[in-house]
Amino acid sequence: MSHFGLMVLYAGLLGAFFAVLWRRERRAQVKLFLQIFLGLVGGAVALGWLMYLLPSGPAAPIP
Amino acid sequence: MSDSTAALSTGRAIALALLAWFVPSAGHFALRHPRRAAVFAVVIAVALLTGATLEGNLYRPVAGQPLTALATVGAMGMGAPYFVLRLALAYEGDPTAAGYEYGTAFLLSAGLMNLLLVLDVWDLARRHRT
Repeated sequence: MSHFGLMVLYAGLLGAFFAVLWRRERRAQVKLFLQIFLGLVGGAVALGWLMYLLPSGPAAPIP
Repeated sequence: MSDSTAALSTGRAIALALLAWFVPSAGHFALRHPRRAAVFAVVIAVALLTGATLEGNLYRPVAGQPLTALATVGAMGMGAPYFVLRLALAYEGDPTAAGYEYGTAFLLSAGLMNLLLVLDVWDLARRHRT
């Protein structure tokens, strides 16, 4: 699985876990799941694009 | 043990908390929250299997590295699976594996999530919440 796929899986697991742990009503659970899931995935993508604007520096040495 | 009953005794609440720690989501099953327990079981199982498949680090205390003790407590939060992986399957993880860091995050998260379930079971048993 790609890094992005693993990140999406991780966000989905955390979203489902905390939505069921912290909320009782189905509607509230879905809302919290979406907030956590989209916050994690969207935040990571946004941070990735922000880092894209920074100078990359020298290439990392190949071990 | 259902929602309509009074708070359980401290002894039974402790027993349920221990059960919840040792067998992830078993505490919620015992308290008759089967749907929630099923979701928790799936989430923790997927996190565990993904972490182990990626050859992530299953923390153990390392001399001279005090933070590994803290991480070990977090990883041991997954209960029986930690000991099955560590003792029965001799699982250690592989620092050279491509998914090592991701796998470590999944394994550690599985332990920490189960610790939160233990606290939730305690609150449910003592009627601090419904």
